[in-house]
Amino acid sequence: MPISASVMQVDVELFGIPRARAGTSKTTAEGSCLGDVLADLARRFPALAEACIDGRSLRPSYTANLGGRRFVTAPETPLLEGETVLLLSVDAGG
Amino acid sequence: MSGENVKKATPGYHGRYLRIDVSSGSASPVARAVALPADFLRKYLGGSGLGTALLLAEGTATADPLSPAASLAFVFSPLVGSPLTTSAKFAVVGKSPLTERINDSLASSGFALAGKRTGHDALLLTGRAAELSIVVVDDDQVRIEPAGELAGLSTRETERRLRERLGPEFQTATIGPAGERLVRYATISHDGRHAGRGGSGAVLGAKNIKALVVRGTRRVEWADPPQLIALAKALSEKSFGPATAKYRELGTATNLLTFNRLNVLPTRNFQQGSFAGAAAIAPEQLSVARERTRSSCAACTIGCEHLYGVKQGGGSVRLEYENLFALGPLCAVDDPDVVLEASRRCDDLGIDTISAGGTIAFAMECVERGLIDEPWLRFGDGESMLRALDLIGAGEGLGRRLAEGSRRLAREIGQGSIEFAPQVKGLEIPGYDPRGLQTMALGFAVGTRGADHNRSGAYEVDFSDAVDRRSVGPESAVLAVETEDKAALMDSLIFCKFLRGVFVDFFAESAEILRAVTGWDVSAGELRQTAQRIVTAKKRFNIEAGWTPAEDTLPGRMLNESPSDDPRARLTHERLSALVEAYNTARGWTPEGWLPADDMARDAASPGLSLGAAGT
Repeated sequence: MPISASVMQVDVELFGIPRARAGTSKTTAEGSCLGDVLADLARRFPALAEACIDGRSLRPSYTANLGGRRFVTAPETPLLEGETVLLLSVDAGG
Repeated sequence: MSGENVKKATPGYHGRYLRIDVSSGSASPVARAVALPADFLRKYLGGSGLGTALLLAEGTATADPLSPAASLAFVFSPLVGSPLTTSAKFAVVGKSPLTERINDSLASSGFALAGKRTGHDALLLTGRAAELSIVVVDDDQVRIEPAGELAGLSTRETERRLRERLGPEFQTATIGPAGERLVRYATISHDGRHAGRGGSGAVLGAKNIKALVVRGTRRVEWADPPQLIALAKALSEKSFGPATAKYRELGTATNLLTFNRLNVLPTRNFQQGSFAGAAAIAPEQLSVARERTRSSCAACTIGCEHLYGVKQGGGSVRLEYENLFALGPLCAVDDPDVVLEASRRCDDLGIDTISAGGTIAFAMECVERGLIDEPWLRFGDGESMLRALDLIGAGEGLGRRLAEGSRRLAREIGQGSIEFAPQVKGLEIPGYDPRGLQTMALGFAVGTRGADHNRSGAYEVDFSDAVDRRSVGPESAVLAVETEDKAALMDSLIFCKFLRGVFVDFFAESAEILRAVTGWDVSAGELRQTAQRIVTAKKRFNIEAGWTPAEDTLPGRMLNESPSDDPRARLTHERLSALVEAYNTARGWTPEGWLPADDMARDAASPGLSLGAAGT
C-alpha cells in the first residue's frame, strides 16, 4: 500500500480588504507554514493575490493572526493542523 | 485692524493670530492681532501644538473651562491651503469641561481653508457674549451678531441658515442644541464633520457663541512652490495605494468584524469583547440593504467617508467605526436602523458619539444593578437608547445627568460605580478593549486628553508581531511613545492620520515637506524633538490644571476583570503601573510622570507673545 504524505489543511478567515478581494469570508488552504498557505491562496484567488500577497508574504498593509491569539508575518511561521489563519488590514485606525 | 506693521511672515504662515473677546458685544468687539514669532511657530508648528502653546500663554489651564476666562482656539497649520492631500484641517484647542484637562479635537474641510485665508494662523475666542451670538471673521473685519433665531437648531440647520444669511462663501463651525445646553461632550461641527471629543462645543456654548463664521482672501507664500507641488503630487499618488484602500473602499466601520473576532470589540459597557449581533450592523451587511455613497473632505484624495441611507426620515448619515461601536455593541443594540438613526441624532444635536454611547451604556448597567431607577433604559433596547439621546439633547430628566458624562454620573451615584464607568480622566474609552490591546491600554492611561485613540496610535503595536497584545511588557512603552509622537506631529502639521501608512519614514518625509512649505532647514531629528515638545506642552498644561499621577490609570473593571469571553485578556494594576512608569522614563520625565525642571515646553507658558504687536 503506497504511503502518501498527508497535506495539511488550515482554515482561513478574511476581513476587510482581503475579504472584499477574495469574495469570501472563509476558506481553507493547504500548507504547513504561513508562506505555503499564502501561496496557495494566491493561486486560487488572483484578486486577493494582487492586492495583499507578494509571493509567499503579505504585502505591507496586511497582516495575519493565528486563531485570534498571535499576529504573525514571517512566511516560515509554522502552522498546526486545524489552525485558523486570519487575514486582515494592518491598520486598525477608527 | 490691519497687518501693515507685520514683519514678512515665514512662508506657510501669516505670522499672527486673532484674539477675539466676545464679551465686548456687537458694538465694539475687541479683536487684536497678535504676532507669532517664527521661532515660536517652528517649535509648535500649528494645530494641536500651536493651540496648546497658545492656551498655556493664555493661562487657560487654571480657568474653569465653562467660564469667560477660558480661551478656545481654532488653529490652522502651515500646510493648510497647500496642494498636499488631507491638509485642509483645523484643531480646536481648549480646556475640556469633561476632563478639565487639555482638549484638542480636529476637524476638516472648507472651514480650515477659509479660516486661514482670513489672514491668521489661529482664531482665539475668550469672554462670554451677553446673548446667543455668532462671531463673523471676514478677513480683518470682526463682528459679533445676535443669533437668537438660531437657538435650539441642529448643527446642520444652523449651518444652512447661516449660509443663507451670509452667503455660500462663508464657512461655519457651529454647535447644536447640546452645546447650548453645555452638555460636557458637545461637539463643534463643520460640514457634517465634528471636532468631536472632549466637549469643545460646551466651551463655545458657554461663551454664548452659536457659531464662528469665516471668510477670507489672504493667501500665504510657499518657500519652494515647484518642490511643494512635486511632493504633493507624489503624496497624492501614494494615497491611492494599498495603505489607504481600507478607508477608501470600506471605511473605518469595517473594523467591527475584525475587532469582534479578536474579542476587543467593547460590548455591554466593556463586560464582553465580542457581540453576537455584530454581523447585523457591520458595514458588509449594511451596504447590502442600503444605499451607500462616498464623500471626502476638501483637499483629500482618500475619501474615507461612507454614508448610509437612513430609513427613518430619509437622507444619509456618515458611519465610522466609533459611532457604530458606541451606539451598537457598547449598548448591545443590533438594529442597524437604530444605530444609523442614533448616529444622525448625535450629529444633529452636536454630541460626541463615543461619550454619548459610553455614558448611556454605563447608565444601562447602573439600571441593571439597581443603581439608577429608570427601568426603561436597558441593554439591547434601541428605542431606549434613542430616547436617552433625545433627553440629553433636550436637557430633561435622566438626560441632564447623562449630559455630565460617565465619570461625573458615577461620582453622583457612588456605590462603587466608578469602577465600571468606561472612562480615563473623564473621557469615555473608544472602541478598543484595553485588556486585549494592552499597549493601547498604556496609551489610554497616560493620554493627556484621556482615553483616546487619536492621540495615541498604540493599537498599531498591538496589531503587530512586536508584542503579545494580551500580555505586554514594559518594552512596549517605547513603542507607545513613538506612536504618540507621530500623532502629535500629524495633529500639528496637520495631516490626516489615515495617511500614516503611506509614509516610509514619517519624520524624514515630513521634514522634506516642511522645508518646501516654510524654507526652514528642518530635519527629521528636529521634528522628533518638536513632537516630544508638543506632548510635553500638553502634559505641562495638565499639571497646571491640577494633574496628579493617580489619573494615569484605567477604571477598576479593566484591572480586575477580563472580558467574559476572553479570560486571557487580563491586565492588573501592578502591570499597568509598570507600563506607565516605563513610559514616563522613556519620555525623560520622573517615574511618576512629573516634568523635570528643564522640560522642553517650559517656554510655552511664557512665550513672550506681545498682545497687539501685529496691529489692531
